Amino acid sequence: MSRLEDELRNALRREEPPQGFASRVLARAEAGPAPRRWFAWPPLRWASALTAVAVIAGGLTYERERRMRAEGERAKEQVLLALHITGSKLQFVKEKIHEMDSRR
Amino acid sequence: MVNVAAEAARQLDFTELLREHQGMVFSIAYHFLRDRAVSEEIAQEVFLQLYKTLPSLESPAHVLYWLRRATCNRSIDYVRHRRLLPKVNLDDAPELTAAAAPGDPMLSARLRKLVTSLPPKQRMMVVLRYQEDLDPEEIAHVLNVPVGTVKSQLQRSLAMLRDKIERTIGEMNL
Repeated sequence: MSRLEDELRNALRREEPPQGFASRVLARAEAGPAPRRWFAWPPLRWASALTAVAVIAGGLTYERERRMRAEGERAKEQVLLALHITGSKLQFVKEKIHEMDSRR
Repeated sequence: MVNVAAEAARQLDFTELLREHQGMVFSIAYHFLRDRAVSEEIAQEVFLQLYKTLPSLESPAHVLYWLRRATCNRSIDYVRHRRLLPKVNLDDAPELTAAAAPGDPMLSARLRKLVTSLPPKQRMMVVLRYQEDLDPEEIAHVLNVPVGTVKSQLQRSLAMLRDKIERTIGEMNL
């Protein structure tokens, strides 16, 4: 054992922490985790996560169905419009033929 | 009811452990960082972590090992993440003009400041060796490094400290 090592032991003796250290730690230990404790309960955490997943999945499904319905409605309107135009044209052609027949 | 009793017992144990080990935890951080405010913050964080971890610790020896390891890791992480250079200017240390007597407070102050100038891992090894009186095997276990590394780093640190202190105060037969 050298003198340097003895001097190091002397220089690095344990020191007391500042006054009131233990009280401050105990206060933080009691106050710290309390606000999060309800969420830290594992079953509740899982339930919250599953609820969130269910809500998001339900929302996505509803949105997809709403879009499909809207696209269907648009297609139906276009078909009806096309039928209406075709009907008008046919009526016009029919009248022309009828007119030509009556001239003869 | 049982839960309340268990919580009370845990708190009682924790309070006893806090009172028993607060000096050790604070001193490891303080001798490593030389900053009382930061050392207190680190020591508080270590005990708050202990409060949460306590149910999984199996024995007083396990608690002691856990506390040393957590304090070392947090102190070293603090220096690395904050890139904290020693706030200590070696020129501020008291000058030793004559051969110091054993236990001389001026020599102790000078040595503490010289220890702070060591690289982090070496510094922590010196603190654990001379504050906590751990042998190289125990230091290796706490810091998770090979025993050979601890022995060589301690020798290097001692040689450096001896060299610096003798350059400052002349031949002291250290």
